[in-house]
Amino acid sequence: MAFLISFDIDGTMEFGDPAGGVTVEMVRRAKESGFIVGSCSDRFPSWQKKVWDSHGIAVDFWVPKHMLSNVKARFQADRYVHIGDRDIDRQLAEQVGFHFWWDHEAVAEPWLAWLIDQR
Amino acid sequence: MPHPGVPRDWFRNRDGLGLWEGRGKVVATGVGTSPTARRWDEKPETSMGAMTIIAIRKAIADAGISPDEIDGLVLTPDSTTGVSNDPNTPPPPGWEQHFKMASFPQAGITRGDIDWLVQNMPELKNVKFMMNGAICMSVSFVAAAEAVARGLTKTCLVVRGWHNLAGRYYVGVGASALDTASGRGKYASIWGLPACGTTAMVFEEYCRKYGKNHDQMANFVVTQRRNGLMNPDGYYSQHRPEMITVEDYLTARWIAKPANIYDNDLPIMAALAVVFTTPERARDHKQKPVYILSHGQTRPEFPGIAPTLEQWEQSTDRMGRILYEGAGVGPDDLAFENMYDGFTLFHQFHLEGLRFAARGEKRGYALDLYETDIGIEGPNPVSPSGGNNGNGRTRWWNHRDSILQLQGRSPSQIKKKAEIGVSGAPMPDACDALIWSATPPV
Repeated sequence: MAFLISFDIDGTMEFGDPAGGVTVEMVRRAKESGFIVGSCSDRFPSWQKKVWDSHGIAVDFWVPKHMLSNVKARFQADRYVHIGDRDIDRQLAEQVGFHFWWDHEAVAEPWLAWLIDQR
Repeated sequence: MPHPGVPRDWFRNRDGLGLWEGRGKVVATGVGTSPTARRWDEKPETSMGAMTIIAIRKAIADAGISPDEIDGLVLTPDSTTGVSNDPNTPPPPGWEQHFKMASFPQAGITRGDIDWLVQNMPELKNVKFMMNGAICMSVSFVAAAEAVARGLTKTCLVVRGWHNLAGRYYVGVGASALDTASGRGKYASIWGLPACGTTAMVFEEYCRKYGKNHDQMANFVVTQRRNGLMNPDGYYSQHRPEMITVEDYLTARWIAKPANIYDNDLPIMAALAVVFTTPERARDHKQKPVYILSHGQTRPEFPGIAPTLEQWEQSTDRMGRILYEGAGVGPDDLAFENMYDGFTLFHQFHLEGLRFAARGEKRGYALDLYETDIGIEGPNPVSPSGGNNGNGRTRWWNHRDSILQLQGRSPSQIKKKAEIGVSGAPMPDACDALIWSATPPV
């Protein structure tokens, strides 16, 4: 099974402005566990790519916040989730059929349970 | 204690007034900019008031004068157009250990206050002339220029701080948080239109009339950020030094189509102070004096609840005429324009009203101009300050940079000779603007 996680940045990721609780290590762990990972943020896409590269994570996508539908079209997955800290994150996620977790829910890395579920 | 606002007859708001009586009699010298922040962390030492004090002290030091030479203070007390507190909301814990209180608890927090500043800056011993330039620092610049020209103050500080509290700007706060709307607001504000919506509609009209499109804005927005990132005092330089690309801009999320997220400025905390004085006194100041040639004002005159393209074009045309008449110069004399860009999509109305780089055209040329070399190295520097889009939301990066350009020390200094420039804010039909010169008028 394939799982995709989209991360907002500001207010969600530790390197966001403001900083959020989701760490680079959590994202790295997800990537190494086989998740399709990337960011979906109002920060410039060109900057999103650079910042992931600077942390040594080869994310699968880096898009403007409203492009979740494109992400869904590009990547075939059994589950899609977007993680963010604002209502707009939830709204955009739900519009395109993504599951949504708030940033504070994401710090527990709930997506790892999907791996257990599939065993 | 209440301080007076600007007398109405000080504003040059119509044609036919001739040369400004104060032309060449008022100069700007010292400039002081505070550090910037995205939002207030509720600590006294990083409050809007604290930042304002920093800016004032820097401006005085930059001018190379003693604080007791300051005998005038013009302040814009409004320190946001977004989230604020009731003036009687108690300050956060620890505030009174840092600052003396003024007549209301939110002074220095969510509202600028002259008495609060004077109480908390004991070095300002001789401030006698005090005036509020409400709503926009552009108004304060005009007020201070008139006050110096009229001999009401010899060395005057012009000051504005911006605060930014936690919460959404305009969304679900203030009047938007209420269950009902009243006054004019009941016609326009209940339909969910975001702040940039009106500008977006007029921009759309512009594009249809002149056969232009939103994509043509890209080089302007990219250049704004480029210019702003040259400014070490700007928010983006200090906190988010990343450059926007054309592709970033063209694929950005719509807020109110055709206004996307990067057509909107980012609210920040920052403060600016500038020293105005007479040319004679400026001889003893450290910085080269920048002369004010004239100023102008427009205010909305439309009958409806939202402006139209025609109204914005008429207003900005009028501003151009008023400024040039008062200054005794014309469009070809401008080395640069630093008009406001709070929403990027109305900048071209200001620019066209001034006929900047018009090459004989009147209207509908600005987006074509944007697609040429409008950078600081080129022949037609558009918004060399980088404006709000390049530095974060204030309404004074443009004014600040105009002074610095003409002093030859802007961080985004234009390469052509900077002799005369213009700056103004905010809206195309509600604007106060000034024409500045590096040399006294002939």
